[in-house]
Amino acid sequence: MPVHNPGRRLMHGVPLRFVRKKVLGFGSRSVAANLSLTSMIDFLIVTVVFLLMTFSASGETPVQKGVNLPKAENALDMIDAPLVAVAGSQILVDGAPAGNTRAIEDSKRLQRVDELYNLLKGKRETWKQARPGKEFPGVVVLQIDQKVPAVVVKSVFQTAAFAGYPNVSFMVNAIPKSEH
Amino acid sequence: MAGGISVEGGSGSRRAVDSEINMIPMIDLLMVTISFLLITAVWSHMARLNADAQVPGPPRPDEEITKVEPEKQLHVEMRDQDKSKFTLVWKQGATVVNSIDVPRKDQVSMESNIEVVRYPELAAKISEEWKNVGSHRDPTDPKLDQAVLHTDNDTPYSNIIGVIDAVYQTHRPRNLGSKTEPVSAFNVTFSVN
Repeated sequence: MPVHNPGRRLMHGVPLRFVRKKVLGFGSRSVAANLSLTSMIDFLIVTVVFLLMTFSASGETPVQKGVNLPKAENALDMIDAPLVAVAGSQILVDGAPAGNTRAIEDSKRLQRVDELYNLLKGKRETWKQARPGKEFPGVVVLQIDQKVPAVVVKSVFQTAAFAGYPNVSFMVNAIPKSEH
Repeated sequence: MAGGISVEGGSGSRRAVDSEINMIPMIDLLMVTISFLLITAVWSHMARLNADAQVPGPPRPDEEITKVEPEKQLHVEMRDQDKSKFTLVWKQGATVVNSIDVPRKDQVSMESNIEVVRYPELAAKISEEWKNVGSHRDPTDPKLDQAVLHTDNDTPYSNIIGVIDAVYQTHRPRNLGSKTEPVSAFNVTFSVN
């Protein structure tokens, strides 16, 4: 193929002077701006280090919709255990419905929640069958809204305890310790 | 340059001391890492407050029953009718060792639209009581003193958490292997009666 001389090119032959002015910054501010690479990389590295330090590989325990957890200062790290949530008047175990609290709220008396009891007991049996010979830890985490009355908390707590989960933990939002 | 140290390749066959990093893939990598970490970031830290239940276990006819001296327990009563005080009662079995009233002052603050209830006076009093009456104060002692929380049926959950948090505020040193770390002085039991 024969070699030809190049034709007219933008910014040399084509008289788009306003484009050339704009790009090169003659007469007015340039569209392009200089960025200091050193500062930018420093910033990116600091951001990466900060995010890596606050990163949690274990993920986070999901909070049921409508549950506002109370906050506490002297809390322990979360553990992997069945999660009993009290959202509104509904009780959920690991997201599955396990009864409701209406009867307790109406009577204002402590009572066992049968559905919750059966579900937790079933989970306990499954755990024991899967790990024969191992001691059952009996740990359950309660995720309860801050406005729920104590009678509901006590009923759920007692039901969990009688289903074979005496080590009950209350899920909270951890806050930094205040100076008293 | 006079007196300067050249780190460039030089004219010999030796390899250069420094090497160039291609900036574009490096910045790409940093950007992707930041995006990943931001997407997976968790800004609210979930935690838990432990509160054991004391329930009778199944009868064990094969085990011989040995009589054990009951330990002192701190009972925190928040069942006052006019909600004006807490009562701290140290009991050894059924025997009341010591009993004091603490004025109830709910310190309520709003943090991210959530009501936080604190009881600093109660926490201070419990700490003082534990220093005087507590049984397990030695760093080598693996056991913790027991606190039992009693509340009425109408108390909101946030207040219960406030009281449990106040009980857990008392700390003591404990030997964990080769190092000593501060741990909570109490283990809380939530009484359902």
